[in-house]
Amino acid sequence: MIAALRDFVDRFLGRGDATITVPSFDGALKPNQILEKAETIAQFEAPEDLATDGTVLYIADGPAILRLNASATSEVRRFDRTVTALCCLPDGGLAVALDGREVQVFATPSSTSATATFSDPAINAINTLSPGPHGTLIATDGSTARPWQQWVHDLMERGRSGKVLTLDIAGGRVRTLAAGLHYAFGVCAAGEAVLVSESWRHRIIAIAPDGSWRTVLDNLPVYPSRLSPAAGGGFWLTAFTARTQLVEFVLRESAYRRRMMNEIDPEYWIAPKLKSGQSFLEPMQGAHIKTMGVVKPWAPPRSYGLIIRLNADGLPLYALHSRVDGVNHGIVAAVEMNGSLYALAKGPGRLLRMPSAGIEQELRA
Amino acid sequence: MNDIVLALRNATKLYAGVAAIENVDFELRRGEIHALVGENGAGKSTLTKVMAGVVTLSSGTMQVNGVDAAPRTPLEARHLGIAMVFQENSLVPTMTVAQNLFLGQERFYNRLRGIYIAAQQFLQSLNFDVTPTATVGLLGAAKKQMVEIARAVLHQAKVIIFDEPTATLTPEEKKYFFDLVRDLKRRGVSIVFISHALEEALILADRITILRDGKHVVTDDAANFDRARIVQAMVGRDLSNTLYGTRKTAVRPAGARVLTVQNLKMAPMVKNNSLSIFAGQITGVFGLVGAGRTETFKVVAGVLKRDFFHGGEVILHDKPVRYRVPAPAVRAGIAYVTEDRKVEGFYETMSVARNIYLGLLAKLPGGRFFLSGREADRVGKTWVEKLRVRSTGNDMKVVELSGGNQQKVVIAKSLVQDPDLIIFDEPTRGVDVGAIVEIHELIQRLADEGKAVVVISSYLPEIMALSDRILVSRQGKVVEEFSALEATEEKIMYAAVH
Repeated sequence: MIAALRDFVDRFLGRGDATITVPSFDGALKPNQILEKAETIAQFEAPEDLATDGTVLYIADGPAILRLNASATSEVRRFDRTVTALCCLPDGGLAVALDGREVQVFATPSSTSATATFSDPAINAINTLSPGPHGTLIATDGSTARPWQQWVHDLMERGRSGKVLTLDIAGGRVRTLAAGLHYAFGVCAAGEAVLVSESWRHRIIAIAPDGSWRTVLDNLPVYPSRLSPAAGGGFWLTAFTARTQLVEFVLRESAYRRRMMNEIDPEYWIAPKLKSGQSFLEPMQGAHIKTMGVVKPWAPPRSYGLIIRLNADGLPLYALHSRVDGVNHGIVAAVEMNGSLYALAKGPGRLLRMPSAGIEQELRA
Repeated sequence: MNDIVLALRNATKLYAGVAAIENVDFELRRGEIHALVGENGAGKSTLTKVMAGVVTLSSGTMQVNGVDAAPRTPLEARHLGIAMVFQENSLVPTMTVAQNLFLGQERFYNRLRGIYIAAQQFLQSLNFDVTPTATVGLLGAAKKQMVEIARAVLHQAKVIIFDEPTATLTPEEKKYFFDLVRDLKRRGVSIVFISHALEEALILADRITILRDGKHVVTDDAANFDRARIVQAMVGRDLSNTLYGTRKTAVRPAGARVLTVQNLKMAPMVKNNSLSIFAGQITGVFGLVGAGRTETFKVVAGVLKRDFFHGGEVILHDKPVRYRVPAPAVRAGIAYVTEDRKVEGFYETMSVARNIYLGLLAKLPGGRFFLSGREADRVGKTWVEKLRVRSTGNDMKVVELSGGNQQKVVIAKSLVQDPDLIIFDEPTRGVDVGAIVEIHELIQRLADEGKAVVVISSYLPEIMALSDRILVSRQGKVVEEFSALEATEEKIMYAAVH
């Protein structure tokens, strides 16, 4: 009874669990414009993911898989459905997730037929694939309630049906490593454990092989997404947009949210976006986006671009930003290859490149 | 016809021998809007106060319509046709709009209804949508501003001076205010306005005058300015001639996160402010007056309370805290060194030692029933030696010390508490040059010892010289962060005024 009363009072006063606050970008997450200034090497219609085998960069663009040759791209193969996740396997193979519902494994990127296919009915919205230990493939299934395109719906419904799956390529078995996650989006092996991004909880967790887990990084000011190994040890973590108080507030107001979802075009929901500034119908953040006609980089973000460099323990070292006044927003994938960091900005559909050494040099200056 | 309604030549105003403005020349044309721009302490307010008769010149001359004038009171200035609208408006909040308008013009017998009718007609003639019977305290900032303006026009002011008129206005109210000012201009009234918002100066003003360190830098048509030129003129001091000439070549790395402020609100000054403070670093907080810096850290230290509803969070060492009074904050290891030492910093008639000892007592839960004079002397002596307070003895009263040594006593009073987080608010305001160097050395030493140090300052060179990281505050929230290595005065000022 007292707990219920406290909940009511907290909600009324905006305290305790009902505090609607968002951490600021500071410390290791101090803003810069590195991502915004990055070189754009290609532009795509519907890019989803990146993968590399160490020498070649593959891009999932709609139903096609492209490969980057110098500064041009060529098609490797095409499917009848959208490729929602992509990863290169240590043995030279390629794994793809199709429409979030099926995973196919190919012996080589250009193989004509799949060596393994996983189309378990429990699979719904695979958004990341990553090589796991002992010849397995690890996948994150964002939501069992909504298809992969409707990630905003899942957030607005406060979805917590994300899963981490282990796919046994040789045996063809699918094992659920963890379930009940608040949108699992991003996974990377870290020794025997796997690091998983739980987007709606704004955190990274480490899941041990026995299914036990611990929080590695919590209370991020962004929605974390895919993870990939960094060359010098540690990881690159992408964040497809930043949290705002307005969205956090809407997430607390169930009746408002339901009505918004029923009556408003999803394009104009008060919800995270991968790109913004296209329409006056977009909800503004308390008129603070622009001051005297100029977009301020420190304004509350409707969309944002961010990549965080994590050390081997999963703690942030520094971050690359495309701020509110930028365009390279909605970063969904980043991989390091041949001394460069490649990032996929899904908002404008751009493939970005930054020299790894240049990043640290700029941050030191 | 002489087009200059007001002119100042070689205007100098000294406060205790220190020049607030020095040999400033200023001309205001008939029916022009003239913006006065400059950093804090540039002399803008002093210059306008001279015009409005609030202070008198130490040397130099002032002419109104070509005739020498030296108003000694605001009333004299009003008779010359000069009125000033202060940032903190001078209306009586418990009186009605009409009563405020006619304040000072009452007759022996006043018919209230007659005043209301006259006020109504007058406000309508100005197109001001304000009810004359409304109590001023219940009006919004913009309406109060209107009443101030109406009062100035009623007094047939030909020159109206606005000090930061838009600081408290919402964007809609600002637009309305701009229209009002343009309307006044059409009526032939000359306007002087002080603003920290450069866009406003560029949009509204016909001419802009920039002051720096009490001296006139440039006056030119607004059309000849852009933001970059204004900022350059505002901050373009010769650093080599100041105390703060050396530029940092290395910064201390951030230690553990000591304090996190998330979406803190304290109306009307702090608006959704978020920041973090790290151990082993000096975090400089820069902003213009009214940026909410002091209030934010006073909330952290329990001196002020945050908003009751949805006031945000203060997280100290990863635990949410909410201090309603300073004592628990002191015990938690937070020390706040006030910007107003004379009012909040010490008991001026108590001895140096007793003042320092008070700091120690504040840390003890429940205080002490019996106080030890010997312990007070010992503690006082230790800190007087440590901070090199120049006093004739422990019994010397604080009021008898110089400003710099008074500041050292205030700092000692906080450091005796052995805090983890020390917040210095304007640590060298009103302090002599020698003491500035010593206080800066002390602040650096504290950071080297691993303490989390915050320095709030309105003086850019001080922020640049001390800080490892610089937070720029504007309109109640931190808007930008710079490393001391990447920061320039122009970058910081740009963030502070936009």
